[in-house]
Amino acid sequence: MAWDNQYIHALVLIIAITVAFLTIMLLVAATVLAERRVLALIQGRLGPNRVGYGGILQPFADFIKTMMKEDLVPDQSTRFVFLLAPMIAVITAIMAIIVYPFGPTITLPFLGTFPLRIAQFDVALLYVLGVTSVGVYGIALAGWSSNNKYSLMGGLRSSAQMISYELALGLSLIGVILLSGTLDIYQIVEQQSGWYGLHWNIIYQPFGFILYLIAAIAETNRVPFDLPEAETELVAGFHTEYSSIKFLLFFNAEYINMITVSMLATTLFLGGWNGPGVAQLPLLGVVYFFAKIIFFLFVYIWLRGTLPRFRFDQLMDFGWKFLLPAAILNIVLTATVLYFTTG
Amino acid sequence: MSTLLFIIFAGMAIGCAIAMVSQSNPLYSAISLIGVFISLASIYVTLAAPFIAAVQVIVYAGAIMVLVIFVIMLLNVEHSEPRRKRLKFLVPMAIGMAAVLLAETVFILHSVQITENHPAANISDVGLTHSIGVGLFTGYLLPFEITSVLLLMAIVGAMSLARRTTILSATARVVPGSQVLAMDIVNPRGVEDLRMVETETTEEAAHLLGVDFHSERSERE
Repeated sequence: MAWDNQYIHALVLIIAITVAFLTIMLLVAATVLAERRVLALIQGRLGPNRVGYGGILQPFADFIKTMMKEDLVPDQSTRFVFLLAPMIAVITAIMAIIVYPFGPTITLPFLGTFPLRIAQFDVALLYVLGVTSVGVYGIALAGWSSNNKYSLMGGLRSSAQMISYELALGLSLIGVILLSGTLDIYQIVEQQSGWYGLHWNIIYQPFGFILYLIAAIAETNRVPFDLPEAETELVAGFHTEYSSIKFLLFFNAEYINMITVSMLATTLFLGGWNGPGVAQLPLLGVVYFFAKIIFFLFVYIWLRGTLPRFRFDQLMDFGWKFLLPAAILNIVLTATVLYFTTG
Repeated sequence: MSTLLFIIFAGMAIGCAIAMVSQSNPLYSAISLIGVFISLASIYVTLAAPFIAAVQVIVYAGAIMVLVIFVIMLLNVEHSEPRRKRLKFLVPMAIGMAAVLLAETVFILHSVQITENHPAANISDVGLTHSIGVGLFTGYLLPFEITSVLLLMAIVGAMSLARRTTILSATARVVPGSQVLAMDIVNPRGVEDLRMVETETTEEAAHLLGVDFHSERSERE
């Protein structure tokens, strides 16, 4: 088949984007259900188990119920920004998934070879960081435009928190970039293959991995760093005034962010699609990739069931006085070791 | 195709720039400025400079504009009244600058037309991370280091300005009758310091606690 034809190329690209989008949306639904069931397990309850077998249709029921609610726009709000904010949040969250390779290059009968990723370019990792940094606006503008004290506090907290932890997040990745010498995520994953998992970057960068995990949880505003929507003090934080589909967009954006952050951790530290038998059966790589993502999502839920929330000054102190110096120290250590080992 | 993309993104950039200047609400101006930065980043991508594009988004759209929006949200300036009287002297300056800019554009267009088009070899390598990194750490090391030192000075300066904690706020006063001053009155930012002194005046209390104290009265004298 003529794969170099640009129309066929565009068609394949559209199909790939659709498949990736639907996969992520299904994973979001599964995570929402898993979060409620696993939290229930941790707290000794049953959780939602009535809709469908074992509650499997519960997220769809919730989705339909939330869609049916009245779509309110507060009278005193800044209307244009109020409508823009959830769009920014969800679009930037989805945009990050295009650079992640879901599996190795596979060969299908009759169809030819495919790379299981949507886009490949030189600065994939910087692109992810850039999209994440634009995502702050969704929450900050939502808090400001609602014209509500609690929303404003939530928006301010979130922008302060995300700026602070973005630095530590970016710096914790530099160790991996130094080791692999490229910003292309596909190449970083390929370099981690072989040696029965001993080439995974987590072996060489255990400190960087822990720093990344903490910064990533703070960046996605999850427990124990969920200050922007601390319900005991801020009602619901930045999305207090949002209802119906606009609330759903924020809700989706949070879970998509969790998934993309897990994808980054998987590809950079845990070898991406690598695992036993991938060389013989490349499609197995997709299974390993999603298994690792699901492990990270489980860690998120586990932390939510275990840890209490930080106070805001503790959060800032932790970010600036511990996480950032530790990340810089990690870079210095990695660079020194690399200088003496590679010459 | 790249011409079409250039027209789309350049149009977006110009539209956002006009919106930024013409908006009265500062937050709308800030959002338009973010639009300008993102369209410029897209133009950099079409010019085969993905690294510059990514840095543009991370630094300008991601970090600096977040701070600007943060300040606007904190001050909550919704509708600033137009101060035409104060800004009047800027109008002739703006016209002059616009004329210079227009002349530059015409000159560039003219000079491009009279010289022949020689595309440089390997133009797609110039904007990549590797070539920029090599350039920064070999040929352009001195400007790079000077810029780093300048940024460091700015950070240290900002911190030293923000950390002037030992100056008493103008609202602190000795309450008549009570002659006990807690540390948090003399030094409102040191709330965790619970030392107390017994004196007659605020100046003496500040002296005993070892803090600088400038009251409005002493400044007037």
